[in-house]
Amino acid sequence: MTLLHGYAGKILRVNLTTRKIVDEPIDEALAKKFIGGTGYAAKILWDVLPKKIDPLAPENLLIAATGPLTGTLTPCSGSVEFCFKSPLTNIFGESRAGGTFGPKLRFAGYDFLVIEGRADKPVYLSIFDEGVELKDASHLWGKTVHEATDIILEDEGNPNASVACIGPGGERLIKFANIMVDYDRAAGRCGGGAVMGSKNLKAIVVDGDRGISAADPEKFYEAAVEALEAVKKRHGERLSRLGTLGGLRSYNEAGALPTKNFQTCYFENAEKVSGEELARKYLLKRRACFGCPIGCGRYVWVPAGQHQTPPHEGAEYETVDLIAVQTLMGDLEALVKASYICNTYGIDTISAGNSIAFAIEAYERGLITKEDTGGLELRWGDPDVVLALLEKIIERKDLGDLLAEGVRRAAEKIGGGAEEFACHGKGLEVPAHDTRGTTKSLAIQYAVGNPRGACHIEPIWPGMWDYSETDMGLREFGLPWPPPSRFKEIGVKRGTAYKILVSFGELAGVLGVCRFSFQSSEKKNLNLKRLSNLMSALTGWNLTPIDLLKIGERAYTLKRCFNVREGITRKDDTLPKRLMAPLTSGPTKGVKVENLDGMLDEFYDAFEWDKKTGAPKKELLLRLELSDVAEKLWKNPP
Amino acid sequence: MISMPKVLVAVPEKCTGCRICELACAYHHFKVINPSKSRVRVVRIHHEPADAPVFCTQCGLCIGACPFNALKRDLKTGAVIVDEGKCTGCGVCVQVCPYGAAVIDRDSRKLLICDLCGGDPECVKHCPEGALIYVDAEEAAAYKRLLVAKLHSKPLSPYSPDSR
Repeated sequence: MTLLHGYAGKILRVNLTTRKIVDEPIDEALAKKFIGGTGYAAKILWDVLPKKIDPLAPENLLIAATGPLTGTLTPCSGSVEFCFKSPLTNIFGESRAGGTFGPKLRFAGYDFLVIEGRADKPVYLSIFDEGVELKDASHLWGKTVHEATDIILEDEGNPNASVACIGPGGERLIKFANIMVDYDRAAGRCGGGAVMGSKNLKAIVVDGDRGISAADPEKFYEAAVEALEAVKKRHGERLSRLGTLGGLRSYNEAGALPTKNFQTCYFENAEKVSGEELARKYLLKRRACFGCPIGCGRYVWVPAGQHQTPPHEGAEYETVDLIAVQTLMGDLEALVKASYICNTYGIDTISAGNSIAFAIEAYERGLITKEDTGGLELRWGDPDVVLALLEKIIERKDLGDLLAEGVRRAAEKIGGGAEEFACHGKGLEVPAHDTRGTTKSLAIQYAVGNPRGACHIEPIWPGMWDYSETDMGLREFGLPWPPPSRFKEIGVKRGTAYKILVSFGELAGVLGVCRFSFQSSEKKNLNLKRLSNLMSALTGWNLTPIDLLKIGERAYTLKRCFNVREGITRKDDTLPKRLMAPLTSGPTKGVKVENLDGMLDEFYDAFEWDKKTGAPKKELLLRLELSDVAEKLWKNPP
Repeated sequence: MISMPKVLVAVPEKCTGCRICELACAYHHFKVINPSKSRVRVVRIHHEPADAPVFCTQCGLCIGACPFNALKRDLKTGAVIVDEGKCTGCGVCVQVCPYGAAVIDRDSRKLLICDLCGGDPECVKHCPEGALIYVDAEEAAAYKRLLVAKLHSKPLSPYSPDSR
């Protein structure tokens, strides 16, 4: 095996059914084409998974993927991407966590971990320099994330190891159960925790002492230090000082803070749940993921009282919006408690909060009653209701059992027009950014652009272009400039812009870094030139910015092909009715989505996807050197 | 005028646990991406607000303990320097080090210990938080006294009036 610079060099394959554990070398040709991370993982999922399998069946794969930049001196490189077929959406699922798991997997000698099958009883996987082993986890089943992580680290005698773990949420196959890394870093979206639970895999623990080599060590150090100095300039900015929650007040002032199950984008009590309030009362310290000079993590607690919590990392912007703002709960202590519960029971705060707001609205409209809720009266703005519903979801009790399936399935079951205000895209609950209040680019992203459904951050937060008016260094690579009004729908090159944004954004997941490292001005981010310098010096391959954009587009397109094979067509590329209806109050009152079809047409044209079916055209696939995919996809045209 | 010798000190309250110092240290000395070869180690206590870079304080206890006379002090920087020709990786230095700052490199089987990069510590240059500083001995002494005093601090109770 030749040494692949920039790679740990191996894939660890674990079959839980047969208990067979195999090391497999990284395929150099595939690495050159897909690089790593979610791109390489998408290729594995495309090649291996038969279409239409049950995501909770043993044949689904759970892949933990890193990229060549993961764990290097590249800023914000503490990434691990979990990839699988999602039980929440039944399409491509990917979910990222920070912390130290990804880097440690690489230091243990593996770029990827590919898990298949199902163990006959609960197990956990330990990966150390001394060997890889499946161990009994009967004593861990039923334990929370925090408890299980404590026990594993103590049993292994290595407090420095990293644990990726599910809580009772994953064990109970809650469709939006997450995988928690290093106690509190969440691979939150798409239900990876349920996939792990279906495999009877409680946890993965990893540590290692192996190194990663660079093809040109001097040049790589130079490039890494230059990039580090650039991203360091963001130290002291809002994201660093106040965490992701720092944006909440300004979103509210702009009429862009989704509120009351997306009825409006303005919350009267926003001050009470702001990043400033969190820092003033509950923040113990900032905590960073591996290699990150920004450090947006909030180490918080509620020291006493009804909602007391131990110190933990939590209270992200998404969590606060979905659990507090969407339910009109202006109570930060109750929110911190709810966030802590979601973390340690292992469920996604976005999907959980969205489901709770949906339930309150369904109750208000009389579509569900006290009989469904076990006697609980649901109303807006009541912390007791929010926490009680959260507990019901975790326990799968009463209405909670239905909500644990996600809002799409819950709305189908409840009926009576519930789907009109069930806010999801392809089954993934809509996060804390609005297609009307923030930018119309999000309408594209939620409807069609994101391979995993309605998500704001993958492949990228598209509002960088027309909301934040920051080009991220993409102007010289064709990003239309200046950006148009964020409220304009068609005729403003939104499709073209979006294509460049996502081809770039995909690279975060492919190369193995945090998306926040991309999302700033070119003076302070990992822009294409810096990525090109880093990757070329690291791998010894000459990777120009244009090469990288193509690699991003290839990964992105392949994920769409996966979804097309699962039956996704243009008719699925849509928005929930609620996210098109006029906003009911605040600075953006009355704004709606009027011409989604027009935006979609522009999108398909820009992306060379077939306008009728929404499938990537054969010529596009051939240009992206995906001829095998083209052959399979277009044999029986979608 | 005689300039004051400098000392590497940690300001743990500022550390976020990002481990950039570990990567920079290992890379500077070995040209490899591998924090296990770092001479500074970040310790995070998950359930407490504690992240701290731990490294050799150059106390020199290991110098006298080394059975092979492999250690001596660099008179310019004050750092303990390893004579790799003499070091056998026996581990007596690891045994006596009060801070857990001495470790044996798993590949070379030689002692890994902070050499202050010859007077220009790489970790200090790259720490984004200012949690590692290289300052005049007198200024460093004030930080050191603070750390000693903190050993006597009482754990915060959730019910104390100002719990932060």
